[in-house]
Amino acid sequence: MRNLSAGRMVRNVVVVVLALIWLLPTYLLIANASVSNDTYSGTAKWFPDSFGLWDNITAGWRAADFTDAARNSLLYAVGCAAVAVLIATLAAFALVVMPIRHKTLWFWLIYCGTLLPLQVFARPLFLAASTTNLYDTRLGLSIVYVAICIPFAMFVVRNFLTTLPPEITESARIDGAGWFRLFWSIHVPLACPAMAAAFVFQFVYVWNELFFGITLTLSPEVQPVMAALASLQGNFSAVGQPAVLAAALVVSLPTVVLFFGFQRFFVTSLKSNI
Amino acid sequence: MTLSARTPRATRDPRPEARSRPAGERPSTVTLPDRLSGAAFLFLGVGLVAIVLLVPFAITVYRGFFGDGVDSEFAGLDNYVEMFRDPILVRSLINTLIWVVGSLVLPVGLGLAIAVMTSATRWGRWARLAVVLPYAISGSAVAVVGAFMLQTDGAVNQLLHALGLDALTTQWLLNWPQNTISAILLSTWQGTGVAVVLFLVGLQTVPPETIEAAALDGADGWKRFRYITLPQLRAVTVVVVGITLANALRAFDLIWVLTQGGPARSSETLALSMYRETFLLQDAGQGSAIAVVLTIVVVGSSWTYLRSNLRGTR
Repeated sequence: MRNLSAGRMVRNVVVVVLALIWLLPTYLLIANASVSNDTYSGTAKWFPDSFGLWDNITAGWRAADFTDAARNSLLYAVGCAAVAVLIATLAAFALVVMPIRHKTLWFWLIYCGTLLPLQVFARPLFLAASTTNLYDTRLGLSIVYVAICIPFAMFVVRNFLTTLPPEITESARIDGAGWFRLFWSIHVPLACPAMAAAFVFQFVYVWNELFFGITLTLSPEVQPVMAALASLQGNFSAVGQPAVLAAALVVSLPTVVLFFGFQRFFVTSLKSNI
Repeated sequence: MTLSARTPRATRDPRPEARSRPAGERPSTVTLPDRLSGAAFLFLGVGLVAIVLLVPFAITVYRGFFGDGVDSEFAGLDNYVEMFRDPILVRSLINTLIWVVGSLVLPVGLGLAIAVMTSATRWGRWARLAVVLPYAISGSAVAVVGAFMLQTDGAVNQLLHALGLDALTTQWLLNWPQNTISAILLSTWQGTGVAVVLFLVGLQTVPPETIEAAALDGADGWKRFRYITLPQLRAVTVVVVGITLANALRAFDLIWVLTQGGPARSSETLALSMYRETFLLQDAGQGSAIAVVLTIVVVGSSWTYLRSNLRGTR
């Protein structure tokens, strides 16, 4: 018995130490984003002795045009995730419920989009966007985000649809429901939790995306929020370290709040991989 | 067999006819109207993925065989050979391999340890929350925090100094390989949560009777974990390794914001080298070849995971 409780003790200490290590960067971020820029000495402060969080946020926000960037990213994240999930659900419905041929082929055609690294798409997309005047436009970037979000969203919704009993489809078909009717009135309402999970997951993905934000856009009016953060970090000497940290803190808030509010959905979309 | 064969419900369904023949799975009797409506449902998804992702992929593969510039000539495998000659690109390959090893050991190992250690206690979920939280933060924001903490006079060196570990203090972001290791540690901070969540799901599927039986037979905690729990986590481990590796290899934003691949391109991985060669150095052929090699590394390293996935869809 004594031995057992000693083992538990060690385990508890290890867990607490790991948790503290994990919380440390978050703590330092908040602490140093709060230090007034006037008292910031150039090195990290472990215990802030002044409070200037609001001033730092304002300074960082102005320095890199975050108002436009945040508006853009909200549009990209909500719009592209929603459109992608809808298209993905249509495809998943066809792959699971409808009697079509070559299901495995169509599945892999869509799914392989999640396997390839983004770099392999970048230059042809850049050239295509330039020739179609879609370079540095919200529409151009949105199309790419929608396409990137489709494969995994399809995977999540498809895995949910396969758990529904086939009798649902059979009885509705016998009652004379067309495919579209079946889709809207039966499968979409049933698949809502899976669609929501896919939406939250893709929202976070698009909000956090940087690579296409800097390869397919240039002007601050079109750039997403992470591109603005990257450029702010690039010349942080101009505004001071606390302001850059404050900006990083603010742009992280939406996804962190979403994450805490919808943990269940994150787990659902991750679980669909197993 | 069929697409639905993988699901728990379909496989557990006791009625054989429901398993072998779910609704709408009779390809031989597919009618034309059904086929047309099937095409309509698939059209947007397949079309967008094909045009925006697959066609560019094919173009990149093709472009990798040509030299740089506008009127580039066929260059065969020159771009690929160059990757093993150019010391910068060789360094980038080495860094990518360090990333593979580092993200296999750190997020997967720590994720398993944390999931197991926190699953038994009630308050463990709070510790878990601390580990999972950074997953919601973008790579760019993680890099901003990391660059701040890892400055030469930054928080990490201050902490090491305070603990009397001066020997470990170093210019984290200015020397190789410390800058690559720094980026991997930050990526671990960000990504371990995924592994924890997935391992936890896996642990819940381990039947408690198997562990109880082992306990009755006198196996201690470690033996129970090693011989009873761990073998039953194999399927989950494959998934965790696949996801972690793919995420690590594709990491762009973290490294780009942290060091821009520098100094002197020493912390570049293939993902960054591709960006620099293509968009900053205007060497499209070389950039395409790097992208192709990166693809091979990504798909190759998640092959086991994919194979289990593939089997499920047959």
